[in-house]
Amino acid sequence: MIVIEELVKKFGGNVVLDGVSERIRAGEKVAVIGPSGSGKSTLLRCLNLLERPDGGRIAFEGEDITDPKCDADAVRRRMGMVFQHFNLFNNLTVLKNITLAPARLKIMAEAEAEERARALLARIGLPEKADAYPSMLSGGQKQRVAIVRALAMNPRVMLFDEPTSALDPEMVGEVLDVIREVAEAGMTMVIVTHEMGFAREVASRVVFIDGGKIKETGTPPELFDSPRDARLREFLSKVI
Amino acid sequence: MTAALEWLARQFTITFITGNRYKLFLTGLRNTLIIAFGAVVIGTFIGAIVAMVRVHSAQSGKLKALDKLCGAYLAVFRGTPIVVQLLIMYYIVFAFIDNGISIAVLAFGINSGAYVAEIVRAGILAVDIGQTEAGRSLGLSSGRTMRLIVLPQAIKNILPALGNELIALLKDTSVAGYVTVKDLAQAGENVRTLTAEPYFSLLFVAAVYFLLVMGITKILRVVERRLAKSDRH
Repeated sequence: MIVIEELVKKFGGNVVLDGVSERIRAGEKVAVIGPSGSGKSTLLRCLNLLERPDGGRIAFEGEDITDPKCDADAVRRRMGMVFQHFNLFNNLTVLKNITLAPARLKIMAEAEAEERARALLARIGLPEKADAYPSMLSGGQKQRVAIVRALAMNPRVMLFDEPTSALDPEMVGEVLDVIREVAEAGMTMVIVTHEMGFAREVASRVVFIDGGKIKETGTPPELFDSPRDARLREFLSKVI
Repeated sequence: MTAALEWLARQFTITFITGNRYKLFLTGLRNTLIIAFGAVVIGTFIGAIVAMVRVHSAQSGKLKALDKLCGAYLAVFRGTPIVVQLLIMYYIVFAFIDNGISIAVLAFGINSGAYVAEIVRAGILAVDIGQTEAGRSLGLSSGRTMRLIVLPQAIKNILPALGNELIALLKDTSVAGYVTVKDLAQAGENVRTLTAEPYFSLLFVAAVYFLLVMGITKILRVVERRLAKSDRH
């Protein structure tokens, strides 16, 4: 579904991604782990072109999205993204947050978008928050709404950028529950995370990035129980 | 006591009644309001466009030439006194037009636009970049993201500063007399000369400006409170 070839991204003189190649198949749940500053968030942000790669190629469903002629907006409509800091639209109610893009982009009619938004809100247990503004929600509630907002576009793949890193510890569980449910529904997912337990449980494959390079990839048992790369062993010894 | 009252009555009469001088003040007030509000419309329009060009250029690296032009505009109009700009507009740029009010509206509007541009730009930049990223990640274009998400939030940052700009502009228009416009300040000056008495004419004009500023302040406070709706906790 997503083919990444020799991806390079620099910020000024700083090489953040140094020739990353990876292939993500439909239905896979890929957890990306690694030390901070390793380039894992940058990799995720390159996938939906929030960052423009400086080299290499990314193909999404057969289309070269790094081609300058490619319509980035059209690509992003098929990719949902969930941010560390939620980024709900502060000027809109919860319901409008969810329906804005589907209705404005004519993915569905306003009434249909609203009906679907209410159904999604009910599924995450927040039906009564439809008319609340984001400032009235807790962090966990915000992130659950943000996930629903991305899902409302019916994306082909969901990108999660450290979705629980900005949450109070007691709210991590409720957000992970929603992500787990999305995974079980068969969604293709790429999750940048520090939650090793969650990565082990939900991911079908784990990718370890360090210094802008993929150092090791494999199933959770392979990666967590018998890591081969020395940096990975050191990393795991610190975080688990 | 009676002497003081008599003096007041005489001052009042020569300032407002004799020769229907109150009409001079009314005309002055009308002209001042026309210039201030006309200029604010032009200034907000120019300022919003310049600000969006500069923000867009900084974020996307496009529109470089236009961005340079906007930068030059800001430098020139913020770097020279408004009176000089007004005189240049009246005696050089529009020397062929003899309509002081229209030229004053334009001059104050273009001048104000330079300040408004910086106010709007700062207001847009104060909105968390995450809001833009979220909009773009959903496939909304940069224009739509700006219009539907960023600008409505930026307005809350912009409005108080824009109110201050309107107040400053209203008072700045008191130099319109330099280009033969009979504005409120000029009316006061006129009546001072006619009556050969400075007290009533000048203090009255000061009081009118003060009341106008108070009124604007009050209106802005109401609007701000309405806009703060989505910030309630």
